Amino acid sequence: MKWQHDHLTPEEIELWAEGLLPAARALHLSTCEPCLTVAERERNFFLELGRIERFAPSAELAEKVIARVRIKTAVEGGNGR
Amino acid sequence: MRRYERPVFSLLYRMVRDRALAEDLAQETFVKVLNGIESYRPEFKFSSWIFKVANNTAIDHLRKRSVETLSLDGAPNATTPDAVAATALQIRAGGESPLEEVEARELGTAIERAIGRLRPEYRTCIVLRHVEGYSYEQIAEILDLPLGTVKTYIHRARNELRVVLEPRRT
Repeated sequence: MKWQHDHLTPEEIELWAEGLLPAARALHLSTCEPCLTVAERERNFFLELGRIERFAPSAELAEKVIARVRIKTAVEGGNGR
Repeated sequence: MRRYERPVFSLLYRMVRDRALAEDLAQETFVKVLNGIESYRPEFKFSSWIFKVANNTAIDHLRKRSVETLSLDGAPNATTPDAVAATALQIRAGGESPLEEVEARELGTAIERAIGRLRPEYRTCIVLRHVEGYSYEQIAEILDLPLGTVKTYIHRARNELRVVLEPRRT
């Protein structure tokens, strides 16, 4: 129960924003306005990081890879004869 | 392979910030994966193994080129205005209204710029955690790093990103 009165550390706030803080410790946020404010700011930061984009390669990438693997296989097959 | 080409390319593109080069490195990654499939150990996640190969391929390249900090505004080897424009990262806007669209684009640009300034190992950790959603344990496995080191890298990377993004909120 001591935890109920201890403010969350920056590391714990970070864990909370990631959903990794143990529930017993996260309960502190229901009774502590200052920690909740910091935690919500952290969650917004994580939401912003969640917008990092995934870039797409050209449509030909797979074909180029398959062609390179086939060439290598063919060369090795030829050497083996 | 189709399943992994986008995440792998995305990671490589962020590492080298040059689309053509990232495509070459992605090709190299998948060729290594397909040719070395016998060396895959099933106790690891297949995706972790592919990212490990991709990361090592990018690190090898960066070591050769000594490219540490990357520009959002074009590849390091882009010397003409056309080359700069062709290699600049294009940030997609996802907002509903024109204002939201502008804000989203600005935020995306700010985040990308900040990510480009991170050390390569911090950059990889942040992308694997926040874009690919890997756990700290999986990232440690992919990068061959102790779990504590991965936690430290991600914590420090976030602090650097906070410094850049915090003023936008005030």
